[in-house]
Amino acid sequence: MDMLSLKNGESGQIIAVNAKGEIRRRLLDMGVVKGVPFSMIRKAPLGDPIEIRIKRFNLSLRREEAAQILIERRVEPEASEL
Amino acid sequence: MKKDIVVALVGNPNSGKTSLFNELVGAHQKVGNWSGVTIEKFEGIVHYQDYVIHIVDLPGTYSLTAYSPEEVVARNFIIEKKPDVVIDVIDGGNIERNLYLTTQLMELGTNMIVALNMVDEVEKQKTTIDIKLLQKLLGSHIILTSATKRRGLDALLDHVVRVFLGQIIIDKNKLSYGEMVDDYLDRLSIVLSGQADLIARYNPRWLAVKLLENDKLVYELVQHYPVFFKVEFDLLQILGELKKQGVDDLEGELAEGRDAFIRGAIRETVVFQKIQKITFSDRLDSILINRVLGLPIFLFIMWLTFQFTFTCAAPIMRWIDVLFNGLGILVSAIIVNDPLRSILVDGIISGVGGVLVFLPQIVLLFMAISFLEGVGYMARAAFVVDKVMHLVGLHGKSFLPMMTGFGCSIPAIMATRTLKNKSDKLVTMMVIPFMSCSAKLPVHVLLIGVLFPKQVAGTVLFGVYLFGVLMAVLTAKLLKTTVLKGGSEPFVMELPPYRIPTLRSTFMQAKNKAGRYIRRAGTVILLASLIVWFASNYPQSALTKSNKSLQLKNSYAGQIGQFIEPIIAPLGFDWRMGIALTTGLAAKEIVVSTLGTIYSLGESVDHSSDLSQKLRSDPHFNIATGLSLLVFVLLYVPCLAAVAVFQRESKSWKWTAFYVAYTMSTAWVVSFIVYHLARLFLL
Repeated sequence: MDMLSLKNGESGQIIAVNAKGEIRRRLLDMGVVKGVPFSMIRKAPLGDPIEIRIKRFNLSLRREEAAQILIERRVEPEASEL
Repeated sequence: MKKDIVVALVGNPNSGKTSLFNELVGAHQKVGNWSGVTIEKFEGIVHYQDYVIHIVDLPGTYSLTAYSPEEVVARNFIIEKKPDVVIDVIDGGNIERNLYLTTQLMELGTNMIVALNMVDEVEKQKTTIDIKLLQKLLGSHIILTSATKRRGLDALLDHVVRVFLGQIIIDKNKLSYGEMVDDYLDRLSIVLSGQADLIARYNPRWLAVKLLENDKLVYELVQHYPVFFKVEFDLLQILGELKKQGVDDLEGELAEGRDAFIRGAIRETVVFQKIQKITFSDRLDSILINRVLGLPIFLFIMWLTFQFTFTCAAPIMRWIDVLFNGLGILVSAIIVNDPLRSILVDGIISGVGGVLVFLPQIVLLFMAISFLEGVGYMARAAFVVDKVMHLVGLHGKSFLPMMTGFGCSIPAIMATRTLKNKSDKLVTMMVIPFMSCSAKLPVHVLLIGVLFPKQVAGTVLFGVYLFGVLMAVLTAKLLKTTVLKGGSEPFVMELPPYRIPTLRSTFMQAKNKAGRYIRRAGTVILLASLIVWFASNYPQSALTKSNKSLQLKNSYAGQIGQFIEPIIAPLGFDWRMGIALTTGLAAKEIVVSTLGTIYSLGESVDHSSDLSQKLRSDPHFNIATGLSLLVFVLLYVPCLAAVAVFQRESKSWKWTAFYVAYTMSTAWVVSFIVYHLARLFLL
């Protein structure tokens, strides 16, 4: 499943980042790396982009890119991880 | 004789790096440009003990890849200029992500000091950090700082000096990517080490990492050395072997390696309090960018920004106006020589006044924007409007320059620097003129007053602005799908925690930007005013001397107006509007005063009510011509100063020519349509 399958408030863990080129590099640099837990915060008023919490900060990205990030659902991560 | 130490300041955006820089160097700073790119370069000096410490504030970055110009600038400064000490500023509230950049600095093998900034927030959150152990893991000193509270600044400078002198050394730690990758990195490093002059300048392990990551710039760099052939051979072999082991995504593999190192370091050294999960920022965001209120609040904040700017600027602008009028009267009284008086009063004084009168607005607008940026709202605004911007092929961040365009095109064009993608930047710069700037307002007000009853004037004015926005959006889409094709910058953006920016930072930023406005625009506006003055006053003859209107008709400007009449006749304009539009190239508000002179209002042209009456009684001026003129002024090239700034920011004469041609032809075509539609339906 991809990142967009999560509802607001749900948590997951990154399995793979399938984006290409610069976008992929950006995502990796911002901590969207295999194995990292995150949670879905909200969607923008117009539905796109989305906001997630990862590595103790808030990150926004477009649906287009979020759809290329494979994840698995997980129970709420520990407070120390987010 | 004091000794010099060169220090580079690096760090993530929002890490408080700029505040730290401002607190360290105070007013002793200068703004320049990095050569070849339009990224600002801030430098400052601190006198500390027997040393003059030169601090260079590198652009804020999350990483040091070859993708973005900011990162290349930061990276090149560190590897080519070899500063004596590199200070890595880390946001204490977000150590984990900030350390990603630190790991890359570790690999560069620089003399690094980590400034763990915003330490007061760390303490407030009751997070404890084992600094000693973290120092050992990072192989660098860590100083706890807080720019806002001015904490740790002396300790930081003290360490800079001692690291420079080699008095305190912490063993560098090597980042491990796992045994397999490490072995390959060692192998590549050994091959690279065969080139003594190469590794004298660059750390071989860093080169090896970058080569595995397929970093374009490092690849090109190594290509210049004879050892390249051996390196390439080994590199291909290594990539092949890795692929056999199932590793074909080195970029991801190395990022995971850094991430694993950081997570390990955090686990060993940092203890977070498991207290409140919902922070103040979260609560604020749940209102400010929520699904229902997000857009209205965004619009309200933008409205408030302009309200603040225009309301506060208005009285100051009046004073400046009065001051320069008074100066003009004074000079007129003193100087009797006619041509000299004319050039001083109508040329220079009114020209300088014209530049300065917009300064309050620009300073206030910059202050408001710097404040909103410092608070953290600008990123939210981009988040809220990105969908709309994305529809026309632009980035959420494009909205800020476009919004600034309502104030003045010049700061708006300068604000496109935040756009990293070249096509995004050019498209945004191209459509900025359609965001009706404040100099066009007097023209709108005059024409609307003539054409429409008072009750609907406000609505019509709003309609004019909206029409401009619509044109901007539509033509942006058009440009992005035709001449300026090309991907957009990825929208992967941090929404930083809300913070109250230091006053000093807000003022510094506004001051720097205002200074640039004066330097960039001031000279051009002044020059343009002088040209307009000359063109409308010469050639003179005895016949025309006493009659201002006749003088203008016979002047060079008048000749141009008559010359272009055939071109603008299809839009319903005659030579008089031709003159006004020509002089309007210097600055839009001049259109009003030129029309005043043409319609023989004599010296004072502030009485726009008189001008309105003259226009109304002119048989040639009707609703169709009026609307057409309104639209033309809204859309045609903003002013010569904006064109000059466009050239400096785009660094391309070709695109600057296109910019002029494009705004002119858009204005012509749309005015043509408006004129003929209005003639069909309204006359």
